[in-house]
Amino acid sequence: MQANTEAVLAVNTLHKAYNRQPVLQGVSVDLAAGEILAILGPNGAGKTTLISAILGLVKVDGGDISLFGQRQQGSKRSSALRQRLGVMMQIGTASANLTVAEQCDLFASYYRNGKTVAELLQIAGLQAQAHNRFGLLSGGQKQRLLFALALAGKPDLVFLDEPTLGMDVQARRALWQQIRELKQSGVSIVLTTHYLEEAEQLADSIAVLQGGQIVAQGSPAQLTAQISGKQIYCHTLLSDQQLLALPAVVQLERQQHRICLVSQAAEQTVLALLQADANVSALEVKAVALEQAFLQLTTQEEVA
Amino acid sequence: MSGLSLYYKEARYDLLSIVRTPAFVLPALAFPLMFYLFFGVFFRGGAGADYLLVTYSCFGIMGPAMFNFAAGIASDRAHGWLTLKQLSPMPFSAYLLGKLSTSLVFSMVILLLLFSAGALLGKVELHTSQWLLLALTMLLGTLPFALLGLLLGLSLSDKAAPGVVNLLYLPMAFLSGLWLPLFLFPGWLQQLAWIWPSFHLSQLGLKVIAQDQGVAIGWHLLVLLVTTLLLALACARRFRQL
Repeated sequence: MQANTEAVLAVNTLHKAYNRQPVLQGVSVDLAAGEILAILGPNGAGKTTLISAILGLVKVDGGDISLFGQRQQGSKRSSALRQRLGVMMQIGTASANLTVAEQCDLFASYYRNGKTVAELLQIAGLQAQAHNRFGLLSGGQKQRLLFALALAGKPDLVFLDEPTLGMDVQARRALWQQIRELKQSGVSIVLTTHYLEEAEQLADSIAVLQGGQIVAQGSPAQLTAQISGKQIYCHTLLSDQQLLALPAVVQLERQQHRICLVSQAAEQTVLALLQADANVSALEVKAVALEQAFLQLTTQEEVA
Repeated sequence: MSGLSLYYKEARYDLLSIVRTPAFVLPALAFPLMFYLFFGVFFRGGAGADYLLVTYSCFGIMGPAMFNFAAGIASDRAHGWLTLKQLSPMPFSAYLLGKLSTSLVFSMVILLLLFSAGALLGKVELHTSQWLLLALTMLLGTLPFALLGLLLGLSLSDKAAPGVVNLLYLPMAFLSGLWLPLFLFPGWLQQLAWIWPSFHLSQLGLKVIAQDQGVAIGWHLLVLLVTTLLLALACARRFRQL
């Protein structure tokens, strides 16, 4: 095993139920050093519970959690381990009466090797608001401060639970850029999100969590392939009935001037399509976009 | 950065964030002083000014200790701030000592206000050693109330905590004889006072000026010690369940 593929996080068949309602049902994920793992899923899928279990905030009913190769016992996380972690939780606020600079000063003091207040203000982009109290910041500014606080101890592994929740598009893209830079500096990152684009843009691997189970896992490219479908676009005079009768076709959509077929075996479909209609034009074969893969996964789950 | 500076910063910022809440500071400081001036100094021409100085000192230090812990911790829990701190390497002792030092600062200011009012307006005359012993007793006595507040803060929601503290604080103060001297109470209420830690603390304070009920000092110390220990155990237990 190469040093750079060492797993900083390994979660194995995690189970957790609240009042006999299963929230995590055998969840397994892992994260290689220096990579970004996105846990993607709709609200209520169990993303926050998973993060909380990894961090020892909730006791699990079964399964193993290893951080930096060390198996974690129960819900206790050593102080030495916490020196290496940075966390931004979904329900996070700081003390309303302290200023931005004071929160940074306080939080950095918890770490042996903490960043300076100036560095943290720069990360948060809140130099101009340094002396504003937390309670007076806008929602996006609060999120940025909490993101900076997660980095206060120069962590090796960072957990970001829905980091861009409630941010506008511009702020979200700016934070994405910071997350990429963080990765470039060698930090491993676990982030949860229900924005597919976020996972697709940032993650080296995506785990799709649905109803407490990982329903798909892999790199954005692998995940797309795992869904296995290809989209076939073309102009054709064939009827709906004829198109749906083509081999391996699972879905048909008529767009303005062209049709879109989803096929489980694009080569066979295209061959039959060309045989049935010699005048096919503007033929295009594309992998199913992850957005659709995700929709497909989640709707399958709901049907099941 | 670590070690002592961490403890210092935690304490400093806890105090700072409380001081910036006038809605907490003003009642905490003004109520005991106001009550003492009214009942102890101006009422009945200041008879019993020394007795009531002790009991209102006790009343004064209980409030901020219970409120700062109960409401502060319940609110930190509700807003996820305590979770973030727990996930950081911050030792939990730093958090607790920070809150305790805030309570002690409030206790000191309240004692200073009340002692000044007593000496200057109430004509209370005590030896220097009595003033100091009384102050020390009350400062140490802050601890069980801080723990009681901590237990409530760990158990209650941020909305419920202040109300429940009031529900405990005010009857406890009254039934311990902090507002009106206990000897004015019917016998059974005087017996009942034994269950309140505030009764035992006020009796220790009254011993300094030789106006207590005459129970041996050991009994009051024992009850306060056992109460403190039980509260500490309950807090530790509750904390593990968080």
